Amino acid sequence: MKSCKDHPIFSSYSGQQNKLDEVFDKNQKVKPVYQTLFDIYGAHSTNDFSILNEKAKTSFFNQGITFQVYGNNQTKEKIFPFDLFPRIIDSKEWEHIEKGVLQRSQALNHFLWDLYHDKKIIKQGIIPEVLINSSANFLKKMEGFNPPGGVYNHISGTDLIKHSDGKYYVLEDNIRCPSGVSYVICNRTALKRALFGVFDKYQIHSVTNYSQNLLEIIETVKPKGVDNPTSVVLTPGVFNSAYYEHSYLAKGMGVELVEGRDLFVEKDFVYMKTINGPRRVDIIYKRIDDAFIDPKAFRKDSVLGVPGLFRAYLKGNVCLVNAPGTGVADDKAVYTYMPEIIKYYLDEEPILNNVHTYHCSRPDDLKFVLENIHNLVIKPVDEAGGYGISIGNKLTTQEINKVKEVIKESPRKYIAQPIMSLSVHATYIEGEGSFEPRHVDLRTYTLLGKDKNFTLKGGLTRVALQKGNLIVNSSQGGGSKDTWVLKK
Amino acid sequence: MLARVANNLFWMGRYIERSEHVARYLCVNYFSSLDAPNEFSQSRQFVLKSMLFMVGDPHKTEEELYDADVLYNIGLNPDKSYSIINCVKLARENANSARDIISTELYEAINKFYHFVLNYSVDDYVKKGLYDFTTNVMEFTAILKAKIRTTLLYDEVYSIIKLGINLDRATQVIRIINSKYNDILLIRNQDNTGMGSSLEWSTLLKCVESYDMMNRFQKKIPNSINTLDFLILNSNCPRSVINSLHEVTEHIQVLSSEKKPKKDSTIFLVHKIYNEYKYKYIEEIEVDFQTFIDKILNDLVAISKKMEKEYFNY
Repeated sequence: MKSCKDHPIFSSYSGQQNKLDEVFDKNQKVKPVYQTLFDIYGAHSTNDFSILNEKAKTSFFNQGITFQVYGNNQTKEKIFPFDLFPRIIDSKEWEHIEKGVLQRSQALNHFLWDLYHDKKIIKQGIIPEVLINSSANFLKKMEGFNPPGGVYNHISGTDLIKHSDGKYYVLEDNIRCPSGVSYVICNRTALKRALFGVFDKYQIHSVTNYSQNLLEIIETVKPKGVDNPTSVVLTPGVFNSAYYEHSYLAKGMGVELVEGRDLFVEKDFVYMKTINGPRRVDIIYKRIDDAFIDPKAFRKDSVLGVPGLFRAYLKGNVCLVNAPGTGVADDKAVYTYMPEIIKYYLDEEPILNNVHTYHCSRPDDLKFVLENIHNLVIKPVDEAGGYGISIGNKLTTQEINKVKEVIKESPRKYIAQPIMSLSVHATYIEGEGSFEPRHVDLRTYTLLGKDKNFTLKGGLTRVALQKGNLIVNSSQGGGSKDTWVLKK
Repeated sequence: MLARVANNLFWMGRYIERSEHVARYLCVNYFSSLDAPNEFSQSRQFVLKSMLFMVGDPHKTEEELYDADVLYNIGLNPDKSYSIINCVKLARENANSARDIISTELYEAINKFYHFVLNYSVDDYVKKGLYDFTTNVMEFTAILKAKIRTTLLYDEVYSIIKLGINLDRATQVIRIINSKYNDILLIRNQDNTGMGSSLEWSTLLKCVESYDMMNRFQKKIPNSINTLDFLILNSNCPRSVINSLHEVTEHIQVLSSEKKPKKDSTIFLVHKIYNEYKYKYIEEIEVDFQTFIDKILNDLVAISKKMEKEYFNY
C-alpha cells in the first residue's frame, strides 16, 4: 500500500461541538488508545482506502452476508454497510459495561418470573398494574408456568450509548429476538481480510466463541429426562432479512436450521422431519415472533409456526428460547422502571444509567411531553428497528402537531426521552472519500442459562451513516463497525 | 438431516452439474462448428439447432435462428428454465436453504459463481464472450466440486449432493450423446457418409470432456461403436453413464441403514438399474439406440422420483 501525503484520509475531519468524539479529544488530538490505528489508517490515500473499502464489500457479497431489497418487480441483494475503522473499548470500560448488562439481564429474568407468578412487584406498588395489564406483550397463557431452568430471557441484546458526559446509558433492553450478533463476527472477519496488519498492534478479545457458548447455555435448559438434547434454530425462512444470521448461528452451534414446516407435534412432543423419519426436538431457539410460533395457540393465519408447539412447551416437552411472553419486559414503558426492578430483585444499585423517560400515560408527563416535543425523542413502546421514532428537533411545526395528535390518541403507546447526544466516531464516508464523525451506539449480547451466563466481549457498534442522524438501526440506513474490547 | 434440506442439497448438486454440461456443450459445439468439414455441419442453423435440442427446447419451425438469441437464451436468459443463469441461481437458492450444513468454503464458492454469472454483461457474452463465459462456468463448477469433495464430511450430506451430481451427470451425458447422435444422423442424411466422420465423434467426446481419456484408452480413431461404448459403458471413464450409476449405488448406500433393502426402496431400484446396464454390451444398445436413450432417461427419472418419495417427503 502506498501512502499519499497530499490527500490524507482524515484531512477533512472536523470536530463536533458539544459531542463526544471517541477518537479525537476536544483539541482535535487523537486519543492515545487510537493513536496506532490512526497512524496506520492515516498512511493511506483516499484512493487506497476506497480500494480496501470495495474489497471489504466484496468479502461480504462473497460470504453471502446480504439481504434482499424488493421493488419494481426486481429483487436486489444488498449488504449492510460496514465501516473499516474499528471502535475500541478499553478493558476497564468494558468491565463496567459487562457487569451492567449482566445485571440488567438477571433482573429482567427475575421480573418476568414474578410477573408470570406472584406479581409481588405489582402488589408492593413498585410497578403499576396498569402498565402490565395494558401491555400487548403480556402473555396470559404463560401465567403459572415454570420455564425450564427458570430462564425466560436466555438471550438479551442491550443497546447502549455513550453520552457527551462520557457515561454509558442504556437505551433499550431487547429480550424478544435480539438480532445482529452474526454481524459482530462478520465485521471482524471482513476487517481481518482487508486490514490484517492492524491486528498485531492491539491485544483484543475474540468474538468467535459466541455460538459455542450459546449452545452450551441453551442446553442447560433442556426438558426434564433428556440427557443429550437435540437443539434446533427455528427460522421464518430464506426470505427473512435475518436469514443469514439464523443459518450462521445454526452452523456455529452445529444444529439443524429448521422452518415451521420441518416440524410437527405428536402427543405433545415436537419432531423434525428427517430423511430417516421423525426425530425428537428438545430445544428450539426460535427466531420467529411469539404471535407466529403456533397457529393453534396464537395467530391462526401463521404459516411460519408449528401447530401444537405451545402446548408441547407448556407440557414441558420442549424448551423455547427465548420464552414466549418476554416481550412484556422489553416494553419501553417498563424500561423506565429498570432501576427499581434491579433494586427490588437484586438489592443492588444499577450499574448502567437509564435515560430519563417520560410516560405519556401519566398526565403530568404527557403535559410536559406535549409542551416540549422539540427537545424530546418520542418512541412507541412496542416497536423495534427504529420504527416510529420521532426526533423533536428534526420535526417541522406541522409534523410536531401531527405527533401530538398521535400521542394524545393513545398515550400508553408512547414514551419520550431527552435527545441524548450519542457519541461520534470516525467513519469512512464513501461519497466523500474521507473520514467524518458519525453517531454510534453499541448492542451487547448476554446469555443466561441455568446457573450459567456469558457476555460476548465485543458487540455490534451501529453507526448512523447520514450526517447528524441519530438513528443507527440498519432498517433506517445504518451501518456497523467492528468493536474491539482490549485485553487487560 | 432434514428431508427438506436433503431435497435442496440434491437439487443443488444437480444444478451445479447441469450448468457445467450446458456450458461445455455450448462452447465445444459452437467453436468446433466454425471449421467443420462440410457446409451443412458448418452452418449456423445446424449448430444452433443442436444446442437447443440438447437443452430440451428443440427448434420446430423453419424460422431462422440467430446466434445472439440462442446464446442468450441458453446462457443468460433468466426466463428460460434451462439457461445457465437459471441453473446457477437455483443451485445457489438451494444452497441458501442449506447453508447451515454445507461448509463456509463451499457456500462462498457458490456465491462467487452466482455473482460472476449474474453480473456478466449480456452484450459482451453474445458478441465476444462466449468462450470466456463458458470456460469460467466450467472452472467454477470444477472448484465447487473440489470444495464438495474436500470441505464436507463424507456423511449423508455429502452423499445426497453426490447423488444429485451423478444422476444429473448421467442425464446430461445421455442428452449430449442423444443430441450429437441426432446431429450425426442429420449429416448422414445430407451426404450419405455412413455413421458420421471421426470429427463428429471427436466433438461428442469433447462435449463430455472425455476426448483425451478416450485417446489414451482406445488409441484408435473415434467411431460410433468405440465412442458410445466408452461414454456409456466404460467403468473407468469418470464421465461414463455406467460410472455415474455406480456412484449412485455407492452413495445411496450411505442413506440406508437396512442390510437387506426392501423391494420398493430406492436402493433396490438403483441396484436393479445399475446391474441391468452393467451387463449390457454396446452392439446390443446400438441396434435400437433411440429406445435405449428413452429407457435410460426414464430409469434416471424413476430413481429421482423414488428418492423424492422415500427421502424428501416433508
